[in-house]
Amino acid sequence: METEQAPTDAELHRRLVYGDESALAAAYDAYGGLVRRIALRVTHAPGAADDVAQEVFAHLWSRPYTYDPQRGTLRTWLSMLAHRRSVDWVRAEERHRKAAHTDEAALHAIPAPGPGPDEAVVDMERALLLHSALAELPLPQRQAVHLAYFAGHSYRQVAAELGIPEGTAKTRLRTALRRLAASLAEPPDPAVERGA
Amino acid sequence: MMGSDHEGVRDLLGAWALGAVPPADEPRLLGHLAECEWCADEAERLRDTVRLLDGGDAALAYERIDRAATGETAVHEDGGQEVRGRLLASVLARRPAAPSVAGHAAPYAAAVAGLQALLRELGDRGPWSTPVVHDWDVHATVAHLLAADESLALRLGHRARTPLGEQPQDVSWRTIWANRTDEVIAYERAHSPAQTVASWREQSAALLADPHATDTELAAQATTLLGVRLPIADHYVVRGFETWIHTDDIGRALGRPVPVPPDPLLWRMVRLGVRILDLALAEDSVPVLLTVAGHGSEGEWVLGGEHDPVAAELVLDPVGFCLLLAGRYDPAEVPRGLAGDGRAARSVLERAARIAWL
Repeated sequence: METEQAPTDAELHRRLVYGDESALAAAYDAYGGLVRRIALRVTHAPGAADDVAQEVFAHLWSRPYTYDPQRGTLRTWLSMLAHRRSVDWVRAEERHRKAAHTDEAALHAIPAPGPGPDEAVVDMERALLLHSALAELPLPQRQAVHLAYFAGHSYRQVAAELGIPEGTAKTRLRTALRRLAASLAEPPDPAVERGA
Repeated sequence: MMGSDHEGVRDLLGAWALGAVPPADEPRLLGHLAECEWCADEAERLRDTVRLLDGGDAALAYERIDRAATGETAVHEDGGQEVRGRLLASVLARRPAAPSVAGHAAPYAAAVAGLQALLRELGDRGPWSTPVVHDWDVHATVAHLLAADESLALRLGHRARTPLGEQPQDVSWRTIWANRTDEVIAYERAHSPAQTVASWREQSAALLADPHATDTELAAQATTLLGVRLPIADHYVVRGFETWIHTDDIGRALGRPVPVPPDPLLWRMVRLGVRILDLALAEDSVPVLLTVAGHGSEGEWVLGGEHDPVAAELVLDPVGFCLLLAGRYDPAEVPRGLAGDGRAARSVLERAARIAWL
């Protein structure tokens, strides 16, 4: 019943489905660091790492059927979930910041030293745009980018993990990045002001 | 001249921008970028994109590249033991873990947790009327489980969750069983799926909180339920088996694959299944050596009469064996290994399939 590629994921999933709390602890010990790292990378806010990690593992534990080990590794699935939740977190922060008419939240979120405040906010917005585009990539490309970008895999490891030829892994990474680059060049909202 | 490397290097640019090119590949790539303007432009554009993914934070970008080199997680990212404990406690509060019970009740505790998680996916307005098995939809299948668990609950002194009608005397347990299921389904039809699930869950929780679920000595007492006299401990295993099989039925109907219960629990069900099958076989039936192997264990049993030599050897997978006993596999189709007298082996498989009551 387990896939040859990921017997430990299938085993962990089985125990999660059947309510074995030691499986939750095992999943957290294996992937908690990855989830926090992604949250930090996207939000730049250490407090967000706790919120995102809690939501991600609560989802895994209370809705175990939403993960299917036949369709991919737990590592990739959790990293995509973490990424999505992190983008949501930043969006909520942005709304909050705009509503409060203050840049304090943004200043707080950008660690010093770094670019000046205005530049930082623009970079953050562009980063959010990119992360949103990343979350919308077709699944095969998204999986490849998650493994390379968040899990620090080489394209060879990406190929091995996804069970695809190395050439396909390279092509997926390149196609994905070209799409992300294009999403910056053509913002979906024409009202968005581009600094040129 | 850009050389024949152009195609090969161009494909690497995405991986390179992400820091996902192994060091050994890099000299070739950098050499090409130095002489091919087209690739150098694209490399820069993609690397800028990755830099922006990092939120314009160069330190993060460098850290990521370092990590790619070592493949290690930085220690400060784990949040520490205290954070871990707090997080796990808060996550566990969202869905209770399967309760801690004695080994005989563990398959039932696990199966109840697995079904509860699956039913949660349906929410209040989900596809409760999807046909599942027999003429039951999801709602009716849960109502059936409410009726099915009831015989053990009543035996242990718990109350019926739905009004008990008059049962005719002198009829087989299968008739009583089928009548009670019909009665409970009819009653629950007038209620929402959420109410039926709540009744089922409360009854399951009561069974798992009962001293018979934790005290093995107490559970050793034999009693007849569903036409078979077994220790109460084994009736708990039967509850786990039936709950798992119906969860699997519902999962198939909804296109949500339900994993097999963890190996130790699966094997507990297999061992009881073999005993029930052996009891069901006539004393003069031709002896067959049954091997069940897979999912982390293996067992061998001689089934049938004691006086004749073994006529056939039959090998089954534990999941196939369980599905056969549950009536979810045609005896002609269950994957098996076979040596010797095919007719003797087939009669064991057919007898196993006829045990099904669920």
